[in-house]
Amino acid sequence: MSATDRTAPIVELRGIRKSFGELEVLRGIDLEIFAGEHVVIFGPSGSGKSTVLRSINLLEPPTSGSLKVAGVEYGPGVPGEKAGRRGKPLELRRTVGMVFQQFNLFPHLTALDNVALPLRSVRGVRRADAQVRSAEALRRVGLLQRAAHYPQQLSGGQQQRVAIARALALDPKVMLFDEPTSALDPELVGEVLKTMREVAETGMTMVVVTHELSFAREIGDLNVFMEDGVVVDSGPRGFFEETTSPRAREFIMAVR
Amino acid sequence: MYDWGLIWQHHGILVNGLLVAFKVSLFALVISVVGGLALAMMRMSRPPVSWIAVAYINIFRGVPALVSVIWVYFGVSLLLGVDFSVFEAGVIALSLLYSAFMAEIFRSALSAIPNGHREAGHALGMRPIRVFFSVILPQAVKIALPNIGSMFIGMLKDTSTFTVIGLLEVVRVTQNLVSQTFQPFVLYTAAAAIYVIAAFLIDLVFRLIEGAYASPPRGAVSRLLRSRRQRRIQSLMAELGS
Repeated sequence: MSATDRTAPIVELRGIRKSFGELEVLRGIDLEIFAGEHVVIFGPSGSGKSTVLRSINLLEPPTSGSLKVAGVEYGPGVPGEKAGRRGKPLELRRTVGMVFQQFNLFPHLTALDNVALPLRSVRGVRRADAQVRSAEALRRVGLLQRAAHYPQQLSGGQQQRVAIARALALDPKVMLFDEPTSALDPELVGEVLKTMREVAETGMTMVVVTHELSFAREIGDLNVFMEDGVVVDSGPRGFFEETTSPRAREFIMAVR
Repeated sequence: MYDWGLIWQHHGILVNGLLVAFKVSLFALVISVVGGLALAMMRMSRPPVSWIAVAYINIFRGVPALVSVIWVYFGVSLLLGVDFSVFEAGVIALSLLYSAFMAEIFRSALSAIPNGHREAGHALGMRPIRVFFSVILPQAVKIALPNIGSMFIGMLKDTSTFTVIGLLEVVRVTQNLVSQTFQPFVLYTAAAAIYVIAAFLIDLVFRLIEGAYASPPRGAVSRLLRSRRQRRIQSLMAELGS
């Protein structure tokens, strides 16, 4: 779908493990994502796919393993390996954007100010410039006319598109989508997928956790099937038809 | 028998008493909002910091205003060797007590904000302090406002106990008038009415503030407050939309 730079991965996970108390939800994840690539992570609930996504911006810091984003290393590191210099989570999050299942717009701010607040506080953009840039970001997702509305006055689909605009306005190198359509009424799913498709066409590196397998088929340059905290199988375009993993096949059949 | 004309005759002094009570409460309100917020944040952080807040809250919620003001005016002043004025003592006493109540109000308001908002702020790369002040606190204050209003009414009523240290608030003023006129029924009825009216007015003001900060705006006041901003957005929309 898009030209990907294959020289060095922009996101690299090595041996990522994560435990919540006794429960180990990630049991060693290795993943390489190249710039411009669109990665789809899917699998049954509880498989750890959201946790993988949330470890990429350290919202869920891994218990062990190494995370490398845009050449900078984060996380506690792989056991037995010499620990090098580690980047700060704040810097990482300024290169990685995220879209949540529950949108998480700030309800006390208008759509415009939802986009403008992080622009001002993260990028230090002046108020007037931030407003112009925010309006442009809203226009890109087709919501300029809703700029003065509060989240409560927007449909779920519109809220999610504002959330996408808010993340995009900060010019991230990678965009993470955590089940972006799962909380939406069925008739609103289409508009959000359309917006995501448009983001994909700009060449943005995307990692998408989703149950929308037809959308996944369409954009997935790399498709990752997870279960019980491990990657069971992964593959390029055509993965959904060609995977030899019985569990992946079974899941794909069941979701369809 | 009952000389109701006395109320009008002395309305100046009575209103003055209310103003004194109001002033003490207002100072104490500001201090206890700040103090309560600080305590709430301590209460929600890790031990041992949270223990300090828990201890403070549980002790000062249990002290009656009367005891508090006597303790401050006659006790603490002696201990520190500072002579508090009755006004200062009243403010300090109320602030000590109501910080504890405010802490609990803020704690429940802060924990009512979905964690997703905090996460979204962090994921956007905002500093935790900025997330707190720009995302969490504005929402929490809105939730806390009605309760803060109730606390303010409580403070105003509690100033009536400061009559013991001679603060010229409503009750003290009334007592003085009764000793001159021997009309306790009339004058205490007036005092009670003053408190009721004051409480009603405070409630009204807090409702107005609440409405003003509602999102989306609710009512004329909040629309007016945000009209400039809305106009700016409209002009941006027109500019970029064409």
